Amino acid sequence: MGVRPDNRLADAPMHPVACTSCAARVLVRKASWQQTSVQWSDEAMAACSSWSPGSAVKGLPPVCDRLRDSIAQAVVDGTLPVLAPEDD
Amino acid sequence: MTAVHNGTGADEVRHIEFEAAPARYARGWHCIGLEREFRDGKPHSIEAFGTKLVVWADSQGEIKVLDAYCRHMGGDLSQGTVKGDEVACPFHDWRWGGDGRCKQIPYARRVPLRARTRTWHAMAQDGLVFVWHDHEGNAPIPEQAIPLIDGGPSDPTWTDWAWATTVVNTNCREIIDNVVDMAHFFYVHHAFPTYFKNTFEGHTATQLQKGVNRDDMRPAEVAIGAPKRLGNTSVATYHGPSFMIDDLIYHYEHGDTRTVLINCHYPIDENSFMLLYGISMQRPEVQDDDPAAADALAAKMVATVRLGFEQDVEIWKNKTRIDNPLLCEEDGPVYQLRRWYEQFYVDVDQVTSEMTERFEFELDTTKPIEAWQREVEENVARRAEAAAAEAAAAAVPQTQDA
Ligand code: FES
Ligand SMILES: [Fe+2]
Ligand SMILES: [Zn+2]
Repeated sequence: MGVRPDNRLADAPMHPVACTSCAARVLVRKASWQQTSVQWSDEAMAACSSWSPGSAVKGLPPVCDRLRDSIAQAVVDGTLPVLAPEDD
Repeated sequence: MTAVHNGTGADEVRHIEFEAAPARYARGWHCIGLEREFRDGKPHSIEAFGTKLVVWADSQGEIKVLDAYCRHMGGDLSQGTVKGDEVACPFHDWRWGGDGRCKQIPYARRVPLRARTRTWHAMAQDGLVFVWHDHEGNAPIPEQAIPLIDGGPSDPTWTDWAWATTVVNTNCREIIDNVVDMAHFFYVHHAFPTYFKNTFEGHTATQLQKGVNRDDMRPAEVAIGAPKRLGNTSVATYHGPSFMIDDLIYHYEHGDTRTVLINCHYPIDENSFMLLYGISMQRPEVQDDDPAAADALAAKMVATVRLGFEQDVEIWKNKTRIDNPLLCEEDGPVYQLRRWYEQFYVDVDQVTSEMTERFEFELDTTKPIEAWQREVEENVARRAEAAAAEAAAAAVPQTQDA
């Protein structure tokens, strides 16, 4: 079969973001203020030390809130671009 | 807009590309239906994985699955009868055991040496029967075990499955794509997600959705007398390539209702699949007056789900397969989901970390972005100020020198 590359990544690839509280490094893409994609590697998964059970919603895989904060901070710092910065 | 380059001019026509659907079927557990239906002492016929299977329960109550076509002269065992622990072929009465061996030929003195047919791993839990398929013929992979359902018919405070099936004449990748297709919830199902998240990891693909319903577009539900829904919170996870458990909380005018929705399928062949789905609902606590009311409501809900799938099927029936969907930024992670799905089609030793490493996609329309944007603007302004101050400071010694 072989899956094709995502046409959107050709124009705007993912950006490395480091978690500010652990050694996890992931790839992030913000297509808008509301939309965030995160590509983890197995190494980053192992490096992250602050997994929390994933919001109040049952059955959701654990999440790292600190990484989420780190991503928000990377936007503020200007190291992670927001592709469609218009608000709606 | 920056969308038009990469060597293709804006005037160039985009071509839809697709390869034929894969000639093999996904590796994993596939639910084939309700346990109670297979426990009637008869052999059952399931057309799946490009062949036909016979399914029956032996005297111990264990579900057995074999190739339906008898290795003697090709008779269809699923049209035969259960005799003791064995299934008897309707053609010449050869008796096949659940272990795949022919135990007896009533008119022969001995059974030929090679009288052995293909067996399929099967299991039953939560009132459902599952068959394991692996192109390479390997035994079930423990990591791909289907988890027990939290709630559901195994719990006496929940209703039994309200269940439905339908044949869909397209390759089953179409229904998998639904996991990421946020936009279709709005346009096809008239639901409006306010929060949406996909997580693909290992052999699971999860979709979290919190939504409100579009008031303007529910005539079909109103017509069947479905209760008015305000919104829902749904955590739906594919455990392997075909079995999705959806913990679904409906928010009604009168309060919340916890339900479990099963959405699963098995391939009949490359170009068709059996879609199976069902709902179990937690019975409301105060309901001693009418214990059947919850079951009636569950039946209504499954009718609502049927409406949803009918809307999907209508699309699938007419659409083309497409390997190179042209996605806009607002679309979900279709390519990443397909990359995850690919792991079930390649040989086990061909599964790459790319297919199984975690990928997250989040759409949060509830986060107040104005404050965040203001923070960024302030930060940018602060930095510009600092840069200006630095430039000014750097300029000072020069003025002194001059
Ligand atoms: S074909 Fe089955 S017994 Fe002859
Ligand atoms: Fe759908
Ligand atoms: Zn972390």
